[in-house]
Amino acid sequence: MQLKQLLDSPCRLRYMIENLDVHSRFSRRLLLDSEMMTEAIIIENNYRILKAFHNVVIEKQSRIPIQTLQSKLCRLKGIPSTIGRLAGREILDDIELFEIKHLALLSSEICQSMATLGLETVVSIPDLEEVVRILDPDGMRIATFLIYDSYSSELKKLRDNMKNSEVFLEDVFIKASAIEDEIREELSLKISAFATEIDQAQQAMANIDINLAKAQQMVALDLCFPSISFDKQTSYEGLFHPEVKAILQQNNKDYQAVDIQFEQKPTIIIGANMGGKTVVIKTLALCQYLFQFGFGIPAHAAKIMIQSDVYCTTSDEQSIDKGLSSFAAEMKNIDTIIKKAREGSSILALIDEPAKTTNPVEGTALVSALVKILQDKDISLVLVTHYNINGYHNRCLRVKGLVNGKMNYALVEAHEGEVPHEALNIAESIGIDSEWISNAKEILNN
Amino acid sequence: MPFINELIKHSSCSIVGLEKNTGKTVCLNYVLRRLPLDKKTIAVSSIGIDGENTDQVTLTSKPEIVLRKGMFFATSEKHYLMRRLVSELVDVSDENTSLGHVVTAKALTPGKILLSGPSSGTGLKRWMDSIKDFGIDLIIVDGALSRMSLASPAISESMILSTGAAYSANINTLVQKTAFVVELINLEKTSESNCRIMDQINNGVWALDQEGLLHDLKVSSSLSTDLKIDFESCRTLFVNGALTDNFLKHIKQNRVFKEAELVVRDFTKIFATPLVLKSFVSVGHPIRVAQKSKLIAVTVNPTSPNGIVLDSDKLCKTLSEAIQLPVYDLMKN
Repeated sequence: MQLKQLLDSPCRLRYMIENLDVHSRFSRRLLLDSEMMTEAIIIENNYRILKAFHNVVIEKQSRIPIQTLQSKLCRLKGIPSTIGRLAGREILDDIELFEIKHLALLSSEICQSMATLGLETVVSIPDLEEVVRILDPDGMRIATFLIYDSYSSELKKLRDNMKNSEVFLEDVFIKASAIEDEIREELSLKISAFATEIDQAQQAMANIDINLAKAQQMVALDLCFPSISFDKQTSYEGLFHPEVKAILQQNNKDYQAVDIQFEQKPTIIIGANMGGKTVVIKTLALCQYLFQFGFGIPAHAAKIMIQSDVYCTTSDEQSIDKGLSSFAAEMKNIDTIIKKAREGSSILALIDEPAKTTNPVEGTALVSALVKILQDKDISLVLVTHYNINGYHNRCLRVKGLVNGKMNYALVEAHEGEVPHEALNIAESIGIDSEWISNAKEILNN
Repeated sequence: MPFINELIKHSSCSIVGLEKNTGKTVCLNYVLRRLPLDKKTIAVSSIGIDGENTDQVTLTSKPEIVLRKGMFFATSEKHYLMRRLVSELVDVSDENTSLGHVVTAKALTPGKILLSGPSSGTGLKRWMDSIKDFGIDLIIVDGALSRMSLASPAISESMILSTGAAYSANINTLVQKTAFVVELINLEKTSESNCRIMDQINNGVWALDQEGLLHDLKVSSSLSTDLKIDFESCRTLFVNGALTDNFLKHIKQNRVFKEAELVVRDFTKIFATPLVLKSFVSVGHPIRVAQKSKLIAVTVNPTSPNGIVLDSDKLCKTLSEAIQLPVYDLMKN
């Protein structure tokens, strides 16, 4: 799964990507095209690099060298098609040769900046000095290009002729063009030997850009480095959703971070309305993606197990373009999860209030049956429900709920069948019509 | 030629043709040939494709653009590779055209090029801002067919207008039509405070009342005349998009706008016909622009692509009298 395919996931991964200060358009494209990592060694290596950048970002004296590096990264332009043509030993035109020279000069400047920051061994950029030498015969080290006079004395003679003339000399121009063509062929051939290095340098510079942006995001949003869990357990301390937190902060409200831990079996979250259960589901999905794309994690501490895939269904989904009702869309999504579980893949399934749009009798039956069949599968399931699911001995968490008229969002261990009845109290606390609520209470009591 | 001296006083100039084949490219080459390169560094570009050997629309032959040593130019990748001069590539921008990225280069020898610069007004503005790093003193922009709105004064400080038999084959009509455009170009610039208000408005029609409060009239463009008016009397009316006959008639009839000043972004946004515009101004409504470029000269091409040739002397004389500006036939000179 590529990052760009997940941008519109309900967990709001888009928020994190839009908040990432990547300086080159090429780096952003490379990031969006990146695949979700599923191997521990790759994830570990990725965080090792990020850690090095993070160490630099938190140093006060690095501020100016980082700004210098970023202003250089702004100039990074992806030239994959030019490099492709170079690797295919085709003859490059002046514009393509300019692009290569520009990239080679830039890579040497960025190497210097990386050395200033002490990061030269963290991401290594291949040495392209030989390429610079070929495309900059006069040693000017300026990012401009033409077939220089110094490539051929004959060309220089013809050029001087043209330069001294006030009018366009067609015959001389044609002769000079023929020599230029030969030089272009020769230059292309010489540089083609470096096609792999040029490509690697381009990717390395984009990686520097991405890692620097990730490290800065970690500091800005107070994110943590996760550790990889190998004991089929995922746990978060002080988990928060960065976007929700930012919105609350704008309104001068505090975000209550929560702790949660779950294993490779169903965990059911119950609790009062407005208890932040959906936010927990979305945050868990977000964290899993952030972990497997190598970002900082929005928590104080996190130990996360690697999943081959993440499924997150929220109750507000509707598939208008497919002509499905909310119920049908939800059923289809859960059906996919069951199929994946049967195939034996290790996935994280996050289901928010399944079957809530249908009648409670059938709804309860559907959810109970779902939990029952997923119970012995190798998947991590976190399911939110208001239905009373009894008798399956699942782990159950409850939102603490209203304490002294104030919502406490903490998750605590609960027993099955302990579905709270706080809907009326909460409705009352937010000032809903009192006649309606008292009538409802009467009906309940009868 | 006298207008070159005037031209070099400005930092940018667009050459706008009222119609294809009104001699715009001839005018450009004329200017480029005469600019004093020892004193000024010049850069040339165009809006969209220009400088083809053959006109893309009428298939008539067209002159190429001739550059001199030391001039900078921006063109598309495709046209850069077809250049007939020695040049040093200084930048490949992210600006994209149908013929590839826009590249900027410096001519090291005299020669001919095909010009095809950024295809939008904002793209051109970005290029003009970026090229200042090379110490450019004067930027010449070549407009193109029916792209008057892109060669808007927001982009260039000054302007040269090309007109001719291709615009109208009748001298009187040609003079009348050209004089109207000149009148629009010469519309007075509004006050600095009004300009600042215009900068903040991105769309719609807004009114400044006598108390100095700004009201959004909730119209998406002036094509719509459904105005939401919740104030007594309007001092200044700001119109963002096109100014049409319909809108002017509507405003004229409404007492709220009695004697209100009407401000448009620049002259290219005025699509009203001469008669309606004149009758609007005659009842006491001044029309002013927020951005204005100085009209330096008007050039004429008395020959049209379908073979009609007008009397050059008569055309220059009549037009010059009508617009009170010097008019040049560059084909003759």
